[in-house]
Amino acid sequence: MTHVLVVEDDNSTAREIEAALQDHGFTVSRVDNGRDGLLKALSEPFDLIVLDRMLPGGIDGLGVLTALRAASVSTPVLILSALSALDERVRGLRAGGDDYLTKPFEFIELTARLDALSRRRAEPATREPDNQLRVGNLHVDLLRRSVRRGDRTIDLVPREYALLEHLMRNAEQVVTRTMLFEAVWNYSYDERTNVIEVHIGRLRRKIDAEGEPQMIHTIRGAGYVLRSPE
Amino acid sequence: MFSVHLSEIPRTISFRTGLMFLGLFGCSFLALFGYIYWQTAFYLKTEADTALYRQVENRSQQTPQLREEEIRKHAISDTEGRLPHSLFDENGQYIVGAIHQMPTFKKFDRPAEFDWQKSNDRSRPVRFIAHKLEDGKILLVAQDMHDIGEFDELLVHALVSGGVLLLVVGLLGAIGLGYSARRRLDKLSDSIKGIIEGDLSSRLPTLGNNDDIDRLANVVNSMLDELERLMSEVKGVCDDIAHDLRTPLTRLIAGLERAQRRGLREDEYAASIDSALTEAKGLLMTFRALLRISEIEDSARRSHFAPVDLNLIGADATELYEPLAEERGISLAFHAGMQPTLIAGDAQLLFDACCNLLDNAIKFSPDHSRVSLSVISDATGVGIRVIDNGPGIPEDEREAVFRRLYRSELSRHTPGNGLGLSMVSAVARLHDMKLAVYDAGPGCRIDLLGKQTHETA
Repeated sequence: MTHVLVVEDDNSTAREIEAALQDHGFTVSRVDNGRDGLLKALSEPFDLIVLDRMLPGGIDGLGVLTALRAASVSTPVLILSALSALDERVRGLRAGGDDYLTKPFEFIELTARLDALSRRRAEPATREPDNQLRVGNLHVDLLRRSVRRGDRTIDLVPREYALLEHLMRNAEQVVTRTMLFEAVWNYSYDERTNVIEVHIGRLRRKIDAEGEPQMIHTIRGAGYVLRSPE
Repeated sequence: MFSVHLSEIPRTISFRTGLMFLGLFGCSFLALFGYIYWQTAFYLKTEADTALYRQVENRSQQTPQLREEEIRKHAISDTEGRLPHSLFDENGQYIVGAIHQMPTFKKFDRPAEFDWQKSNDRSRPVRFIAHKLEDGKILLVAQDMHDIGEFDELLVHALVSGGVLLLVVGLLGAIGLGYSARRRLDKLSDSIKGIIEGDLSSRLPTLGNNDDIDRLANVVNSMLDELERLMSEVKGVCDDIAHDLRTPLTRLIAGLERAQRRGLREDEYAASIDSALTEAKGLLMTFRALLRISEIEDSARRSHFAPVDLNLIGADATELYEPLAEERGISLAFHAGMQPTLIAGDAQLLFDACCNLLDNAIKFSPDHSRVSLSVISDATGVGIRVIDNGPGIPEDEREAVFRRLYRSELSRHTPGNGLGLSMVSAVARLHDMKLAVYDAGPGCRIDLLGKQTHETA
């Protein structure tokens, strides 16, 4: 069971986060200041840490993060912040954060990102040895950049390939539009229209040909998930 | 209206500067005239002395008899006593000449002065030389100095009256300068007071001659322009937010109340929760966009500007929107700039701006039309131009569309929050670029143009 430490000073937000994470199947420990957060993170093994950027008391989120990394605690940290400025984000990531989420956020976004973080942590062990990605009968050769589903070879334009690769690496997990956008386009996503949906739609038409069981699923109001049809 | 109290004038900078210059000029005036006076007086005395020496020379060359004779004749002919000569014996007893009393002197052959008491009880200042002749007698050669004294006096007089005139004119000038400066500053401060009291539309008066105060007033005026724009925008935004957010909130509450009132089936409950969520998320998105715009307007963001290639950003944005355009049969073209298109900026924001422009262009264009994004890099500047074949923006709305939450009649029924173009406009301001809407006949052309930063050599 994934154990998450939530360091958040605002009680009602913390309660909501806790509830959302528990619903998602995580075990949650909660503290409301930086000092306790740091002590807890140093004394107990956690799988993930959700850290508020602004914390009361002597030590704020970035301070906790810097101290943790200095103590070589490599637990993935997701920073929560009301500060959305780009340089804040960069500072958070540079201090050793693994992801950054700006308040207000949707909980599906938080859980999807935490899933991705915990998966990324586990990835080295399960990494395909031969530079292949496989989900069901969908097959991606990372070296040749070729895609096959069953016997059918699929031609993808570079952007579609990047989308598919990201979905494959996070197979069976919800990937939000924001996450996809950041990973594939390298810009942060300013929620606008249905432009990503159109890109996914194109990819889906190529991956899920007529008569084949669907692999790319839309999770309404959240994002997408690539599932093995079996 | 702008009466100036005399007591206030001495405090003005102009008056003080005037006084300072008056003082400086007075000093140089004193130095110059003092020098001229001193030189003139010195010259006149030297001239007189030379003449006296010459006469001593002449007289001492004469024989004693001739000398006595000549002096006697000279005393008779020089009735006014302008150049009196006299002869005294070795004991200083008068022998002959105009001066009867031997004056006291320190040394022979050295010019000295004394007051000559004339027989008619008038005294004249006289410069003289006493010379001991070979026969032991004393020769006195003198010159009346009255005229020279008079000339000196005249000179001093001229100096004093000139100085007084200078002082008066200078003082009047300083007062005049101080008065006009004070009056002008009073006008300025009166307009500033008016502005403080809330009349943001008024401006500081300028003379148009671009002097120091004019330049200051112009800077303040441009600051006021910006302030007025911001104030009206803040007010407009507050009104718009209140107005625009009331509608979805009302809908949200109405939906929830309906769900509460009626006994609903489970699927109906789910549907009302869904629609409530959609409304709430829409509100959240509007707030997020508003926050983002104010964050962009915080120009501290300029601190991490880096060189950004507009060609790259334009291509990325076009690529992102290409499928969306294709779905509607719109041909979306990208034209890269030929010359260097590097500017200092924030790549993310410029990308967002391009996306917003493309999004609008595609949204408002009819199916099977054309939209293009060009990167401009020429003498007019560096920037982005988006052209569409949509309905265009009416001339009288071209400023208003940049306002937050503004939605034109045409766009009321398309999805959106009325924040796209205000976001682009905020990005433009942050990058010192100009955002303008033109008619593309038919359609709309939007230019996001900044000044050319590199030398086009």
